Amino acid sequence: MLQFARFAFTRAFLAMFTLILVSFIVFSLMELVPGDCAERYLAFKNTQGSGISLADIETERIRLGLDQPYLTRWVSWIGNAFVGEFGNSCILRLNIADLLGEKFYISLGICLSSLLLAYLIAVPAGILSVTSKSKTLNNSIRFVSYLGLAMPNFLLALMIMLFSTIMFGDSLTGLFSAEFRDAPWSMERVADFLSRAWLPVFILGWSATAFALQTVRALMSDEVGKLYVTAAEARGVTGRRLLWRYPARHALGPIINSLGFDLNRIFNELPIVALILTLTDAGALLIDALARSNDQQLAGAIIFLLTASIVALNFITDIILALTDPRVRRSILG
Amino acid sequence: MNQNKKLLEVENLTLQFDTDEGRITAVDNVSFSVAPGEVLGLVGESGSGKSVTAKSLMKLNPGNAIYSPETKIKLHLEDRSVDIMQLKSSKEMLVARGGSISMIFQEPMASFAPAITIGDQMVEQLLIHTDYSVVKAKKYSIEMLDRVGISDPDQRFKQYAFELSGGMRQRAMIAMALSTKPKLLIADEPTTALDVTIQLQVIELMKDLVKEFGMGILFITHDLGVIAQTADRVAVMYLGKLIEQGPVRDVIRNPSHPYTQGLIAALPKLDDLDAPLVAVAGDIPSPLERPSGCVFHTRCPVHLGGQCRSMVPDFSSVATGHAVACHLIDVSNVQQQKVAVS
Repeated sequence: MLQFARFAFTRAFLAMFTLILVSFIVFSLMELVPGDCAERYLAFKNTQGSGISLADIETERIRLGLDQPYLTRWVSWIGNAFVGEFGNSCILRLNIADLLGEKFYISLGICLSSLLLAYLIAVPAGILSVTSKSKTLNNSIRFVSYLGLAMPNFLLALMIMLFSTIMFGDSLTGLFSAEFRDAPWSMERVADFLSRAWLPVFILGWSATAFALQTVRALMSDEVGKLYVTAAEARGVTGRRLLWRYPARHALGPIINSLGFDLNRIFNELPIVALILTLTDAGALLIDALARSNDQQLAGAIIFLLTASIVALNFITDIILALTDPRVRRSILG
Repeated sequence: MNQNKKLLEVENLTLQFDTDEGRITAVDNVSFSVAPGEVLGLVGESGSGKSVTAKSLMKLNPGNAIYSPETKIKLHLEDRSVDIMQLKSSKEMLVARGGSISMIFQEPMASFAPAITIGDQMVEQLLIHTDYSVVKAKKYSIEMLDRVGISDPDQRFKQYAFELSGGMRQRAMIAMALSTKPKLLIADEPTTALDVTIQLQVIELMKDLVKEFGMGILFITHDLGVIAQTADRVAVMYLGKLIEQGPVRDVIRNPSHPYTQGLIAALPKLDDLDAPLVAVAGDIPSPLERPSGCVFHTRCPVHLGGQCRSMVPDFSSVATGHAVACHLIDVSNVQQQKVAVS
């Protein structure tokens, strides 16, 4: 127990270290973009018609603390980031934590739901497709899976929108109906959210499922051919017991391992889907911050939060693996 | 030994695999038998069909395997005879899979499931084949581990295969295979993955256990040295066909088939270190291009031409219990009498 606590602590420490390292890279990238927040804001002001001088920029710089040394600013940024405080957006002049607020968690929720959906379908389907002799089942699973891999998400989104508009007169865009968009949370708002959130979850989950299915299939076909499965069969183990206790159980480790990577991939696909479905989520905000308004503070905050989620998920999968795989467990516990 | 009392009788075993490239013949009309308490060595190069033959005895070959209707595999137990080819349901199959036949494999590391303890796998097997309670199965498994010379068996019972040394793993595998008191043990290259010193220990252990349990063993290997130490009789396989079989000393001292002669000449000689290494010329042909006539004629240094290319040789007896399938034997008239394949 003590050893396990030590292992968990070491992993947590490593996760933290990774996060700090990533934050340094993110922060450095933010710094490398030409111009700083003060210049950018005042340049933006300029386009709005107000005149600016060098002295204005300097005053703004001191106000924002940009005259401090690089490392000092990083330390204060990372310190605040860990308590969820990201300062103000360069352009919008709003507190980033307020701006992102529920949007980030909604995005994360959508991504995690897609991930869950993907594996709920992919694990049983993948295992069955490897062991089943039915050609029809195998071919249809393969067809659906290739369709999911080959068809771009945005195309699927457009098709569903088109279909829904023609059939139901509702394009299903946005995460909330008009009347709930800025309303405070309530049961009705949750219901409204769920009635719309299934679509991005479905669209993101579609390709994630296809991808996960390929992973599960590959891992399973690897395992079923192994000698220990034949050996178990030679000892009289049969049927479901032979399938689940032997190859399936041993294929699960690498699947668990790939969860963090999958979350990242789904989040990468989110912005495009969000753009089509006009979701006001963190993914759309990230694209906006990076590409349109060059808002480093905001982009940095989103990337930091995303990294933190992935590192956290990896930490959890490490712990799960340590609990389920004796090879990992024994190497920790001795 | 009473020749009439056989434990296992394999007759006309012919096995083909249905693949995308066409039908591949893996085993071609092979017949042999094993008596109780006897060790039959089955020798051949990789790809000669010896492992496939072994798996046929448990019907473990994959779904694309097609057995010819003439194939008969009979297992004679004390109270009944089982026709293994006729076993259908997984329940019927239990007698051949771990019940009266057990198998140990070449790689002890790979034949244990990596994430299940050795004990759990042993108990699982006992619960399938006996009416033991879990407690009794555990106690008996630990006794078996102790019997095969594993130190600290209580501890080993709880361990995983990756925590044991190679020799320990193979001992544990033997303990597991014997725990259901099988009548026939199939050992598929059980010592190939082990150090020479450990090899000897494992072979000695197996010989002891055969005597103690009165089992027959089908010992598969490519190593004639191991066969010489282990087997009572030997059967040599080439490209899915048996080409020579007989008492082990007789076959090794007077190999009659050019292939067996080649295999024996290919053994490195420790007493003459300067002697050049000799190989059997050529490579084993692809199963897709099976030679006609005698399957060995493409590599045979002394083949007779037309006859060897077109006619499949029958078995001829060259000494008591020693039979060879080679046209040269027919020609030289060592003994014309065709023997029924024993």
